[in-house]
Amino acid sequence: MKKKSISKAQQILSEADASLLDLVDHVLNKGVFIEGEVLLGLADVDLVYLRLSALLCAADRLTET
Amino acid sequence: MSLYLYALVGRPVRRPLGRGLAGEQLRLVEAAGLLVVAGRVPDSPRVTATALRRHDATVRRLAGRTDAVLPIRFGTVLDDRPALARALAPRAAGLREALALVAGHEQMTLRIYGEAATTLDESAVDDGGAGQRYLARRLHARRAPEVDPLRRALRGLVSAERIERHERPPLLASVYHLVRRGDSERYLATVAAASARLNGVRVSPSGPWPAYAFAPDAVA
Repeated sequence: MKKKSISKAQQILSEADASLLDLVDHVLNKGVFIEGEVLLGLADVDLVYLRLSALLCAADRLTET
Repeated sequence: MSLYLYALVGRPVRRPLGRGLAGEQLRLVEAAGLLVVAGRVPDSPRVTATALRRHDATVRRLAGRTDAVLPIRFGTVLDDRPALARALAPRAAGLREALALVAGHEQMTLRIYGEAATTLDESAVDDGGAGQRYLARRLHARRAPEVDPLRRALRGLVSAERIERHERPPLLASVYHLVRRGDSERYLATVAAASARLNGVRVSPSGPWPAYAFAPDAVA
């Protein structure tokens, strides 16, 4: 199950265009962050965070093509 | 069933609120003196491109229903209303301030690209000791000198600003601006005109966005 969700996150990021990467940054990295009793249950979110910064760099290349 | 949270909103809120990312009916939940738009969902949503787009689309739609929308991060699920009240209560004052800040506004985002990172010249503050160097680093983290002429050109359109440095060339920094609703086209035109005069960096604007970057820090 975990393996499946990780591959899903990788799929989003590997197929993302610049606008989706912008969306991922805003929707996942920003906004009111509530922790404590939150049931995140999103095994793949950390992975998305980790790769996002590098991929936003790649987005620069994408917008030029 | 759990509560999936989309945004904090200001009063008044016009109905209907519509449906959320799982097709669920959206509802207004009052907790800790704040209004939250939420949906009842059986499980946490999976992170998919479709779910991310639907979350964003739902938050955007709320802007047509109320003046102030403060987005909640994707994937936030709580058991019930008492759990929501417990989570919000310690930071209610800060959240009310943030709601007042974003009222009547939306966000524009600038990505600043260049080949070389602008590093802090620590020798300039060497005499100041560790404390001063720390403060200089903190200040540097909130600056984007590469685009200062552009920021000056935008001054009349920008109500609030947040800067995040990345220092991973080509991505050097992200600049988030809060602009009045309806000003995004003037903002983009100003960026286009002023960007042409920048040296060594390229600016990629996007927006308007809901005010994602103007949420207060963690609500613990």
